[in-house]
Amino acid sequence: MKADRYNPVRVVIVGGGTAGWMTAAGLARLLAPADYDLILIESDEIGTVGVGEATLPHIKTFNELLGIDEAQFMRDTKATFKLGIEFVGWDQPGQSYIHPFGTFGEPWAGVDFQHHWTRAMLAGKDVGPLFDYSYAVQAAARAAFEFPNEDPKSIRSTYSYAYHFDAGLYANFLRGWAIARGVTRIEGKIVDVRRDGGSGDVDRLTLESGAVVEGDVFIDCSGFRSLLLGQTMGVAWNEWSKWLPCDRAMAMPCARTEPLVSYTRATAQRGGWTWRIGLQHRTGNGMVFSSAFCSEDEARETLIGAVDGAPIGEPRLLRFQAGRRAKGWEGNVIGIGLAGGFLEPLESTSIFLIQAAVVDLANLMPTRGGIDRRLADEFNRLYEVHYDRTRDFLVLHYCANRRTGEPLWDHVRNMRLPDSLAHKIALFEACAAAPDYKYGLFSRDSWLAVLIGQGVVPRGYNRLADRLPADELSTRLRDLRRRIRANVDAMTDHAGFVAAYCPAPVPDTPLESAA
Amino acid sequence: MSAPLRNRVVVVGRDAALWLSANVIRAALGASGVTVIAVELPGQLTDADVHATLPPLEALHNQLRIDEAALLRTLGGAFTLGQNFVEAGKAGTAFLHAYGGYGTAIDGRDFFAYWLKARGLGLPVGLEDFSLTAAAARQGRLLIPDDETEKYGRSDYGYHLPAAAYARNLKRLAGDDGITIHQTDAIEVVRGDAGVAAIAFDGQRIEGDLFVDATGDGLLIDALGGARESWKSSFPADRVLVGSAPPFAAIPAYAEIRSHAQGWTGLYPSQAQTHVVQAFASGLCSDEEAYRAAAETAGLALRDATVRRLDPGMRADAWVRNVVAIGQSAAAFDPLHNVDLLAVQSGLIQLLAFYPIASDCCAERAEYNRQMRATYARLRDFQALHYRINTYGGAFWAQARQTGISAELAHRIALFQSRGEIAAYEEESFAPDSWRAFLVGHGLVPDSYLPVIDRTPPEEIKTQFRHMLGFVKEQVLRQPTHDAYLQSIARRGHG
Repeated sequence: MKADRYNPVRVVIVGGGTAGWMTAAGLARLLAPADYDLILIESDEIGTVGVGEATLPHIKTFNELLGIDEAQFMRDTKATFKLGIEFVGWDQPGQSYIHPFGTFGEPWAGVDFQHHWTRAMLAGKDVGPLFDYSYAVQAAARAAFEFPNEDPKSIRSTYSYAYHFDAGLYANFLRGWAIARGVTRIEGKIVDVRRDGGSGDVDRLTLESGAVVEGDVFIDCSGFRSLLLGQTMGVAWNEWSKWLPCDRAMAMPCARTEPLVSYTRATAQRGGWTWRIGLQHRTGNGMVFSSAFCSEDEARETLIGAVDGAPIGEPRLLRFQAGRRAKGWEGNVIGIGLAGGFLEPLESTSIFLIQAAVVDLANLMPTRGGIDRRLADEFNRLYEVHYDRTRDFLVLHYCANRRTGEPLWDHVRNMRLPDSLAHKIALFEACAAAPDYKYGLFSRDSWLAVLIGQGVVPRGYNRLADRLPADELSTRLRDLRRRIRANVDAMTDHAGFVAAYCPAPVPDTPLESAA
Repeated sequence: MSAPLRNRVVVVGRDAALWLSANVIRAALGASGVTVIAVELPGQLTDADVHATLPPLEALHNQLRIDEAALLRTLGGAFTLGQNFVEAGKAGTAFLHAYGGYGTAIDGRDFFAYWLKARGLGLPVGLEDFSLTAAAARQGRLLIPDDETEKYGRSDYGYHLPAAAYARNLKRLAGDDGITIHQTDAIEVVRGDAGVAAIAFDGQRIEGDLFVDATGDGLLIDALGGARESWKSSFPADRVLVGSAPPFAAIPAYAEIRSHAQGWTGLYPSQAQTHVVQAFASGLCSDEEAYRAAAETAGLALRDATVRRLDPGMRADAWVRNVVAIGQSAAAFDPLHNVDLLAVQSGLIQLLAFYPIASDCCAERAEYNRQMRATYARLRDFQALHYRINTYGGAFWAQARQTGISAELAHRIALFQSRGEIAAYEEESFAPDSWRAFLVGHGLVPDSYLPVIDRTPPEEIKTQFRHMLGFVKEQVLRQPTHDAYLQSIARRGHG
């Protein structure tokens, strides 16, 4: 280890896509400049994947950490608001549900809401779908938007929101932000990686120009190539295609269409699924599919058929495989973003996984004393928790389906599930208990949305719910539904809200997109 | 509904585990039509036994509508704000495990990292000086939380409850609540298709749908088989002596745990007596020697001493077929930190969450067993920590340093040594501040602190520290002394 007690720790970030610039910006904000030199190497010749245009509410925390003005950021990235994801046809054709960024009902008599709902449902009461009891679902269904109320007693406080944005513009935005705060950007392609003969740690990179970049800590944001973590350090890839067989995506934006909805749409298709993300200036579309079940031609045809506006350019193909590295941190190399793992964009988790890794890394960052195995162990423990729990949640969308007769869907319905997921589903069916982690994704309400949405029906509930008299339960359920409906009806529509709060300059600014 | 509801619960056992189980299940599920029948075996407690309870019990008492003042008055119990750990006869070794937070957040980040940094720069102020609870305990006062102190940090407390009287109290509550109570010296477990069909005794036969084994020895669950994991290799003590000593003139608001060559002596003050516990290893020390060591270390005359064997460990599955083991039948703990009632409470709360609605409750049982295994294992880890990292003299403590620990505990210690952080696990019962009290108390100095706190200017940290110390001093002086508060409770009883 070359770091000494007086010089700053040299942190070299390899790759400048969303992962690279989120890492650079996050570390620039969190670490003391006197102690860390932050260097990012990127090449204009290497394109970025531009992971995800849809996000989770956690990104607000990240932007707030950086002190980013929301309206400004939304104008710059042509962003819209997102209250959840609509899943169309995932259980069976003709059916749809919304996974909201919000809660279902409220706990009564100290018991979570779904138990009360299940109790009334099993008693044959006319309770309606669970989704009637989510403010965020009802708001999204009406293409409405407003900021959540800060009074925790208000029904309007029971949700949060995320954004749809242009990921390329977001990376640009963060690049400017990070460089202004002292991150050194080096342009160039890496042609050689040298490892220290003793420790095996990476100690220098050589660029095509012949320039040499030395460092103490290397963060691999090189995307699918995983140049340092995978190729150099040889960390194994745990592949999950036996549970997540999709391995291709085709993307094709189109012109903006109305109405401008406040949710992402994911529509199940024969050989995969298509996404639809409405931004201010255009709509992002794409098809995720499994090459084992769907040809590129079929995917292209499906995608073009699904697009509801004038196409912008030709469909662009991406290849990938679901999985993660056996470790996210090996030696002095940490993989963030696609270099560390990949999960399809079904639940918009890519940017969250980057963010979680950046925050964990900031807390566990090596100091001038050198690389410390114990910090890497903790990083790897958290990395596993994040990836493995997200995986189970994604697999649930596939395995619980009734699209019989379609080979992909028959396959995922019949595959052997991870034990952890099979147990979660069985438990929910038995007694309506949904996973409720203290740490990591996803929340209990998210699990509820997808379990119920995919047609998993509980046959029991927590019997503590019986402490509420049956007629009082009926009254409360009716009142809650009425309260949600009345409040949602009074909301502003999303397009109007965006136009007033954060209109992107029209026509398009010449800001180049890195994607 | 595919299978009939399980509405008849038979709770078999003794002492607090029996009566807490019966009362909690009755209070929570009575409305669901669940009937509770209690079968009481002879108690194993003496008047010297004490429950030194941890903060969560207060919430359980609230659910059972047990009035705190009335309970302490009836039992002659006392409050406790924590436990003071000290090596007997060695000045400067004391540290308090306070049942409250240490310090308050700066810039939205945990206090501890700032303290670590400041200490590295020569700050001479100890961690516990920033704790309202610890400072109050040291001054013989309580800390009654209000909005201001809540904003500063957690200020929780437990009780010292004479155990036999507590069990009698809970039994009375069960009777008042309409729970049918049977008493017997011995039982026979009658097997059936579902697991246990009935409990037979004195010519009677009590049938049930679900059986709770609160016998302490696993009388019911043993009948169904299943593996038990021994924790003997994690704990140096295999015997515990319990005795009674006269009360202190002014009743301390905390327990004191004194280590010495023969093990440790715990002093747990209540109003009528001081309960004394001596943990020791039979290989190093006879019962007689343990008795002398306890009396000498306590500096008090001991009476009514009894010695029991310790066999720490847990069942792989606390719930087998239609029998759920609660308390010692599920997991037997070392006496350190007095986690017994907390384990009973956790076992019951989880049982309520997964109370079987149908007879084929495989998923609920699997989830219950998974969560309880992890919960018990993390409690065990918290106990094992103190033994493993101790810096005390004597053969007992040298042996304790050699005990085996779990991978999770090893990782936690390693991460703390590296960065001062406590790795977060899902089924953890103790707050990070509790873990740090021991790690810091035993003199572990982390190699680094959270780098992200270096963005806060040192002057800002100094100012905040000054405010905190001033706040703690001022708040503690406003608090009633433990004695005054106990007297006011006593008066309320007569009023």
